[in-house]
Amino acid sequence: MQWTDYLPSLMQGAWVTIQLTLYSTLLGAVAAFVFGIGKLSRNWALRGVSIAYIEVFRGTSLLVQLFWLYFALPLAGDALGLDLRLPPVLAGVLALGLNIGAYGAEVVRGAIQSVHSDQHEAARALNFSERQTLFGITIPQAIPEMMPSFGNLAVQNLKDTALVSLISLGDLTFRAEQIRNFTQESTTIYTMLLFMYFGMALVLTALMRLLERFVGRWRLAGN
Amino acid sequence: MSTIQKFAASALSVIALSAMAASAANAASLEEIKKAGVIRIAVANEIPYGYVDPNGKALGAGPDVAKKLMETLGVGKIEWVTTNFSSLIPGLKADRFDMVAAEMAILPDRCKQVLFSEPNTSYGEGLLVAAGNPKDIHTYKDFASNPELKVAIMAGADQLEMMQKLGVPDANVVTIASNADAISTVGTGRADAYAATSLTASGLAEQGKNVEVAAKFTDPVVDGKAVRSWGGFTFASGNEELRDAVNGALADFKKTPEWSEIVTGYGFTEADVEGSNATNTKALCGGA
Repeated sequence: MQWTDYLPSLMQGAWVTIQLTLYSTLLGAVAAFVFGIGKLSRNWALRGVSIAYIEVFRGTSLLVQLFWLYFALPLAGDALGLDLRLPPVLAGVLALGLNIGAYGAEVVRGAIQSVHSDQHEAARALNFSERQTLFGITIPQAIPEMMPSFGNLAVQNLKDTALVSLISLGDLTFRAEQIRNFTQESTTIYTMLLFMYFGMALVLTALMRLLERFVGRWRLAGN
Repeated sequence: MSTIQKFAASALSVIALSAMAASAANAASLEEIKKAGVIRIAVANEIPYGYVDPNGKALGAGPDVAKKLMETLGVGKIEWVTTNFSSLIPGLKADRFDMVAAEMAILPDRCKQVLFSEPNTSYGEGLLVAAGNPKDIHTYKDFASNPELKVAIMAGADQLEMMQKLGVPDANVVTIASNADAISTVGTGRADAYAATSLTASGLAEQGKNVEVAAKFTDPVVDGKAVRSWGGFTFASGNEELRDAVNGALADFKKTPEWSEIVTGYGFTEADVEGSNATNTKALCGGA
């Protein structure tokens, strides 16, 4: 078999990888904002939940989280009388999204804290409420600061999706393993795999750069 | 620790403990499968036992027989799931699939975890070595007598137990994730040989350029008996109904020439075909 014969199957896998990356990155972004802001909350319950989430998902292995959701959760649910048999796609998106979200939450927190305290004082002087200050002043300034780190995390997330091949999800790595099992062409297949991930990472990086310029456009206004 | 953290930690441990106490998630009964019209069957990408070709078609002694059995049982559609060999039993327990068609060897330890059908096939052992067999390896016992030799084994495979019984030190065993890794592991010298069934070894030898099947191979003798394995279909414990239905269909199908054609078509020998009827699952599970 020629390397071109592998392409249709690999492309199918690449599509699954792209979908997984998209969904889990979006979930991760939501989690990052919710728990990153939550960690700065003055409400102890919100703060506690946010810290617990960040530490649990950042402090345990992604692969183990994936296996736990896929193999252990159905058994746990059964013991509690619930059907917690998540479909593989959902288990994959959840593990990837929650994991990357935990890293993202720290990025969000750091960026919010880096906004100069003068801004808070000015907001108070102008009689802004706390909520108005957060969403109208702090976060808009913090977001451009987050973007380089978010770009990193998104690319990291793309590459982490390879782990879902171990819970029988037909992503790019899974397809490659299937073909390799059949043809034993390790060099060809893994080389193709490297290039395909690299290509996707380049596209993702470009998209994140565009997003970075979009969210930072107000900065140019003053020049 | 804040109160919330304490609460979260205890909730998590309750869930984890109850998960350990539970035997298996509720498996789908034959009735439910027939109603849905689809059964989920897992293979572990082992040629020729059960594998999926690049077009997504399930092939092998297990899948081909399973297709016929499902026709007989009136299940219209099979959804094939490919997974690692070591995930087959965990996957059954978590109700990720209804049945395994990987010709998994029927062993007492596995019988405690899952249900087995009557044997579909039987097979002996083999050894994949580097071309020319530079280390002069001919049997599993060689790894016990020469501590410098390293042997590769697939994670979750029963060859590990054989090696342990033969007295091979754990440090000399290299665990690999799948058959696909065997050729490069042996070909590049990360292990001196790959211990697998005879069919797997000869299949891999055909695919790889720098490997071959160890010549003059003698079957390992464990507990005074030459090792032969019997492979069957596997089900989640508690799903006796599905197993019994498959057993009924399998017993009839094994009497037809079509069955032996399927099996021999994948390289099983006449001895393997006859051997498959030599014992039954009850005896195999009982450790006899």
